[in-house]
Amino acid sequence: MNYEYMLGAYSVAWVVIFAYMFIIGKRHDKLKKEIEFLKQLDK
Amino acid sequence: MSMNLEREKAVLPPSQMTDTKRVSIGKVLFGATIISMLTALYFIFIFANEEKTMRAAQKIFYYHVSSAWLAFLAFFVTFFFSILFLIKRKRIYDTYAYVSAEIGVVFTIIVLTTGPIWARSAWNTWWVWEPRLITTLILFFIYIAYIMIRQMDGVWDKKARLAAVFGIIGFADVPIVFFAIRWWQTKFHPIVFGDGPSQKGGGIEDTMLVALLVTITAFTILYSYLLHKGVSFEKMKITVEQYKERLRESLDK
Amino acid sequence: MNLFRTAFLLAQKDLYSELKTKQILVTQIIFAGLVIVVFSFAFDPANNTTKAVIPGIIWVIIVFSGILGLNRSFISEQRNDTMQGLLVAPMEAASIYLGKFLANFAMILVVEIVSVPFLFLLFDFKFLGSFPYFLLVIFLGSFGFIAIGTFLAALAANSKSSEMLLPLLLFPITTPILIGVVQATKIILTNMDQFSSALAWIQLVTAYDVIFFVVCFLLIDYVLEV
Repeated sequence: MNYEYMLGAYSVAWVVIFAYMFIIGKRHDKLKKEIEFLKQLDK
Repeated sequence: MSMNLEREKAVLPPSQMTDTKRVSIGKVLFGATIISMLTALYFIFIFANEEKTMRAAQKIFYYHVSSAWLAFLAFFVTFFFSILFLIKRKRIYDTYAYVSAEIGVVFTIIVLTTGPIWARSAWNTWWVWEPRLITTLILFFIYIAYIMIRQMDGVWDKKARLAAVFGIIGFADVPIVFFAIRWWQTKFHPIVFGDGPSQKGGGIEDTMLVALLVTITAFTILYSYLLHKGVSFEKMKITVEQYKERLRESLDK
Repeated sequence: MNLFRTAFLLAQKDLYSELKTKQILVTQIIFAGLVIVVFSFAFDPANNTTKAVIPGIIWVIIVFSGILGLNRSFISEQRNDTMQGLLVAPMEAASIYLGKFLANFAMILVVEIVSVPFLFLLFDFKFLGSFPYFLLVIFLGSFGFIAIGTFLAALAANSKSSEMLLPLLLFPITTPILIGVVQATKIILTNMDQFSSALAWIQLVTAYDVIFFVVCFLLIDYVLEV
């Protein structure tokens, strides 16, 4: 059987997709922090 | 270049806050993505028959082809919005083009990583200099260059204009690269390793075809989710930047 | 025609200033010589199989020394703050592009005329193929490379790190030209039996040159905006 190739390919694909989503999430967090900071500054 | 600098620091017009309706679209798309992805997995692993010679490794095919399709779709969207931007000059078109190119690069990475794994199991080698592989690699480099243009310094409309021009040229280049490489390969080296994964040509079984179509649909929904998320993020970033400019102006007074 | 007249004037200006300083041309030619030297220890010139890589070496020389010139062509305008002057001058963006293209093309032709015979001499290469076709291929290849290169140099000049950006933009876009001309040169230099496929390659490169020259001409207005 050659399950290892299949598992490898699927895990690679999902790792890439999740890594991208993770990067997007990081950017969101950074922006949110900035917004918080600006709100504080506004007071 | 002092003119550009002045424009860079100039006060931008105030913008409206994004309405709350957008969030619900994002949530709907997220739910649809999860459901369709699970359905696709069901169709791939349970519904579709196993291929006789390649056994389980053949299952890579579904994700590989779907990501390739998605990458092409994403680059086409970039091309389309680049033209639209050059005609209409609205920032939203530029945002769509940029986010789409980024998603396209991510899915090209998936194609370029699952491809060699497939090749290893089917042809017993990681990489073959075969038309489709080279074209995909060049496509990848072209859009990396596109993102590099976006990372340039300067005012947004200059970057957007240059990136749009490059998006048009880059997409126009791809079909020509494909023909050039195909010609180059077939003139001197006949293709030894049979057809590439996406050139199955007629030999595909019905259950496999259904599974493939379901996977492609699932990936397209994933793409629209990512595009929506990316665009709303970029919009938010623009709003924050405009807010900062206004703040800076009020501090200057 | 006004478009061509202004383009010629601009090319003349560039070439005059180049003749005065001789900065770019000398650098390009010395660089080409250095590439030949590097290849002489990468591939043993006494070995017979080296003959097979000569077509590749010719194009490596042209591409890399071409990049040196392309990098300079728009940067020098920005250094001297004359880019704005060119843009407000009563001429179209297309004729700026055409003028820059002519100047770059003239320079790369000089580099080729000096370096290619030098390469043949040093690698002791016996010329077997047809000379006019060899010239045609060199001409077509450099035409396409410089046409796209000038356009992308104008694009990259907006960045602060344009020297690094330009190769990244240029190489993927010019792949079809490079494949075509390397194959055609190989056939013409070593194996004239397959001349028909060399002709097919020449046609491909010509078509590509024409298509992209027109596309660049249409899109340059958007690149060279104030």
